[in-house]
Amino acid sequence: MSVLEVFSLVKSYGSARALDRFTLVAEPGEVVGLVGHNGAGKTTFANVASGLLRPDAGSVRIDGSVPRAARRVLGLAPQHLALYPTVTPRETLRLFGGLHGLRRRNLTRAMNEIVESFQLAEFLDRRVGVLSGGQQRRVQAAAAMIHRPLLLLLDEPTAGVDPQTRRSLLDAVRARAEQGATIVYTTHYLPELTELGASIAVARRGRIIARGTAAELLKDLPGEVHLTFDDGEETCVSTTAPTAVLARMLADTTKPVRKVDLRQPTLDDLYRAVAHAS
Amino acid sequence: MRADAAHRLALLVRHNMTLRLRDPGHLVSYLVMPMVLMLVFSPLYQAALLDGGRAQTVIGLLVMFSVLSLAIVGPSLLTERTWRTWNRLRVSPASIVEMLVGKTLPVLVLLVVQQGLLLLFGSQVVGMPVTGAFPLILFAVCVWSFTLLAIGVALAGFVRSHGELAAICDVGALTVSALGGALAPLSMMPAWARTIAPLSPGHWAVTMLKAAVAGDAGTVFQTAGVLVLVGLVAGAVACVRIGRGLDDLRG
Repeated sequence: MSVLEVFSLVKSYGSARALDRFTLVAEPGEVVGLVGHNGAGKTTFANVASGLLRPDAGSVRIDGSVPRAARRVLGLAPQHLALYPTVTPRETLRLFGGLHGLRRRNLTRAMNEIVESFQLAEFLDRRVGVLSGGQQRRVQAAAAMIHRPLLLLLDEPTAGVDPQTRRSLLDAVRARAEQGATIVYTTHYLPELTELGASIAVARRGRIIARGTAAELLKDLPGEVHLTFDDGEETCVSTTAPTAVLARMLADTTKPVRKVDLRQPTLDDLYRAVAHAS
Repeated sequence: MRADAAHRLALLVRHNMTLRLRDPGHLVSYLVMPMVLMLVFSPLYQAALLDGGRAQTVIGLLVMFSVLSLAIVGPSLLTERTWRTWNRLRVSPASIVEMLVGKTLPVLVLLVVQQGLLLLFGSQVVGMPVTGAFPLILFAVCVWSFTLLAIGVALAGFVRSHGELAAICDVGALTVSALGGALAPLSMMPAWARTIAPLSPGHWAVTMLKAAVAGDAGTVFQTAGVLVLVGLVAGAVACVRIGRGLDDLRG
């Protein structure tokens, strides 16, 4: 059974339609990279899927239950920081772990694991309000994951963080997916999705307009073949079959070639293509 | 399931008590200021009211500063909106009732402690005569604290900012206290003020607490009924408003 089943969600704010028949299904252990430009409906989807907003139409099932009934198996790290600045990361983790049913030895074990996973030890007993933005991001993600949720909704978890924080976040997300969690990962940093081995869902105007693995979605996008000749002349060809085109260009040319650049399409190209289409 | 709910509630109460105790400014000032004012005004009220002067001083200032303490109740919820933490709690298994009780119980305890300390100071230092039984006085203090708490939470559900809440608390405290007879006895107030005084919860609080200190159980229960009713209405409004989440509040 799929852990996340979202069908035809509709959600409007006044006359603005944020979700328009938004449909998404994700399997256990799958990381879904949810991409799309600002206003595509990603955060509204996260809020509806976590039960914070009621949809106008459509349905959400998490492990077979409606979101409000599935809160024990749900983890959410919202786009904006949502932490108590006057308590410590240790107290934050105890609170959210405890609210999700972890007690005594289980809570201690889960805390030890998450502290190590997110490298929180050095500031575990300092107040959250005095931590750096990156440290706060780590605390927020750790609080969302301490109870090992079946479904983890991460809404731009690496926005504005340093490379070390990004690394620890990505490692932790990958580890949770390997343990069987389903993760919906919203981001604008597309190389992260490649690192996570995520499948891709492209949202536009409140609807998923493309869904599949990176390879499936990129196969129809053009790459580039760029040749630089000894005499300084350059040729650049955009093509969906760059390797074959390069071979033909090299066979056809009589001039000595100084440099060959072969660029396969990337998720950035996909993102740009979607943005352009919108 | 019931054990889980009790565990979550205990966690939330402890967490919210920690939040309150790490930001104690208002509580300390609303304890110290009325104590100082009791010492300053006690001779004046004694001269004006003879036997009832000390009780008027202590109960009047207690009611006024307990209403000012709405500046503690309201922000405890308002900060959850500022910090965006209310929605984090809503995604947890905690129910809205657990979240609200966990949020408000520590504040209720602090309100009871504040009023208890002021009554103790009034009787031991100012010399207010106390003939009422301890349980009766405690009952009255708890009822008034509950009413304040419910009004404060309801207010927090509608205001847009800390500044707006502070303004409402300041103006409201003085209005409620003055109309309620906290600053001067009703008998000394103009006729129009005496007419509308029962509209102020402060009126019922002053009457109830004076009766509790004097040991008049009948008046205590009668006035407590009015205050509980006010508290229940405000609490119901608060539950409906806050149950819909804090993000969609106006502003």
